[in-house]
Amino acid sequence: MLARPNLHLEPSTLPPQVTVGGCWQLTRMEAVPDWDLLRLPPQIHLQGKALDALDTSGAYFLIQALLARGATLEGMTLEAFNPQHRAIFELVRQHYMASIATPAIKTPWLVKLGAGLHTLIRQFASGLSLVGVLGTESSQLLRHPNRFRMKEFVTQLQAVFVTAIPLVLLIMFLLGVVFAYLLGRQAIQYGANVFVVDGTTLALCRELSPVLVAILVAGRSGAAMTAQLGTMKFDEEIDAIRVLGLSPYAVLIIPRLLALVLALPLLVFLGDLAGILGSMVVTAQQLGIGPIAFIHRMMTALDTSTVVIGLGKAPVFAAFIGLIACQNGLHVARNARSIGLNTTATVVHSIVAVILLNALIAVTLVNLGI
Amino acid sequence: MNNMGDANVINARHIVTRLDEQIIHQDVSLQVRQGNIAALIGGSGTGKSVLLKVLGGLIRPNAGQAMLFGTDIWDTDTITGNALRQRFGMLFQDGALFSSLTVAQNVATPLFEHTTLPRATCLQLARLKLAMVGLDASVAGQMPDTLSGGMRKRVALARALALDPELLFLDEPTSGLDPVSARAFDQLILTLRDNLKLTVLLITHDLDSLLTIADQVIVLAQGRVLGSGTLAQVREIDEPWLRAYFATRTQDVITHAVSNAAQEKGNQDGK
Repeated sequence: MLARPNLHLEPSTLPPQVTVGGCWQLTRMEAVPDWDLLRLPPQIHLQGKALDALDTSGAYFLIQALLARGATLEGMTLEAFNPQHRAIFELVRQHYMASIATPAIKTPWLVKLGAGLHTLIRQFASGLSLVGVLGTESSQLLRHPNRFRMKEFVTQLQAVFVTAIPLVLLIMFLLGVVFAYLLGRQAIQYGANVFVVDGTTLALCRELSPVLVAILVAGRSGAAMTAQLGTMKFDEEIDAIRVLGLSPYAVLIIPRLLALVLALPLLVFLGDLAGILGSMVVTAQQLGIGPIAFIHRMMTALDTSTVVIGLGKAPVFAAFIGLIACQNGLHVARNARSIGLNTTATVVHSIVAVILLNALIAVTLVNLGI
Repeated sequence: MNNMGDANVINARHIVTRLDEQIIHQDVSLQVRQGNIAALIGGSGTGKSVLLKVLGGLIRPNAGQAMLFGTDIWDTDTITGNALRQRFGMLFQDGALFSSLTVAQNVATPLFEHTTLPRATCLQLARLKLAMVGLDASVAGQMPDTLSGGMRKRVALARALALDPELLFLDEPTSGLDPVSARAFDQLILTLRDNLKLTVLLITHDLDSLLTIADQVIVLAQGRVLGSGTLAQVREIDEPWLRAYFATRTQDVITHAVSNAAQEKGNQDGK
């Protein structure tokens, strides 16, 4: 069993001698030891004969303990330390001052607020500049249509649209079921069974399907786009594209944006159908309105304009989701953490954007009387 | 300091490793003595990094023993294994710094986890370690992604040294560094070894590093150890890759280094 770290003062000798004994190692420093209080003069001799082991952490605690008792860094003279212990002690003594931290300066809240606002404005500005760049890039593409990346576009369409179909169908079908069921329970009390058809089809086609499918796509494809573009930025793939004389906007961003803008209305339409099917199943079971009666009622209740408004919102949502996703992807810093942060930001920002836009569109349309 | 009788800090015996049916190590045995700096060399894809991970307890070998300080790291209970892990440090190729923590927190993480010291003390020790690897105090509060490659490696080394290990595994410590930083890093490893009595096993492609710091060279090829010994001994091995490797440097430089080393050894023995 190795001895505990200890210090012992011989006051009689001049200059006073401090005997260091035991194991001064990190594993022995479980809690900072509480040695008997002794005051030391600035100049001391350290006697290392009884020292069993010393590592850098131990040397650090030794020096700290001696300094706390009045010794000085320069005033410590080593005696009978073995060469290895001496080397460690000198190494730590040499760097001891670096361990003392300068207290961090606290940022006042006003500065934080300003910095936060600044970032917000810069993000908005860079979003605007992305729109501008995409505008010029698209006009170039219109003049040279053969530069359009058809293969990338089709790949993205597959990722955003085709693979999302089962999920959209399932979610909207279930939503239609739940919505019709809850509405039906209220309506049945007033004998207003047939109005459930009006309620569900209108709500689904105009609001629920566009918003929910957009949120789904934001979480699914928007996040994937940010993560993918972010990783490409991280691995300098985007720089490599630039060096080859290609535009990363034409190669990566425009196919993605177009795929989203095209895919979302299609998904919303499929979502409409699935939702209507879901409510049809419920009304037949709960309210005794069979499919024929449902469709008949739907044709009087549901205007074409309602469906078109629902479908027309989708490309707008898609454009915002795509812009947010691409911007966050392109602005990833060179570390792994940033990719995660930007992916989260994409999901949050695009969901907020979708809901805000939807509210804006709803208010506008109501005021226009549509 | 347990197992003083066994001077071999690392003792790998007949290690066989397969990854996805691909045989990486057929039969690898190697020993590294206490206080030595051993360099692991070999062509790309010869399993150097995998061997380091086997010894470091990250990839389980299919057969064989990986003895560190006389204990097989793959054949112990969790408690002994974790105690063993605290006795060595590992430096990964790109530093593997935790990107969400500051530099000082990165270095202090092993101390937070494995000691009962107060947080402030851990951070003080972290700053001491940063100073020891030659980093300025202003670096401590920065995030890892703001650092250059050489600084990242130094921070990673400081983290590997946080628990005052007796053994260090370094995976290509000088790759990606400019020659000046690389030589400075070599000197740093030498200084730390001399002061802290560390045993070091490092992977390197850097012939300069090999000439400057390696006491022992271990050559890995075709899943086996082709040779192990001093630079002069390894140079005698007649193998195409090794010949090509040493031929990248003009003859006289190596001969010079070898004779210098021999001379120094002679001087030391004479003392």
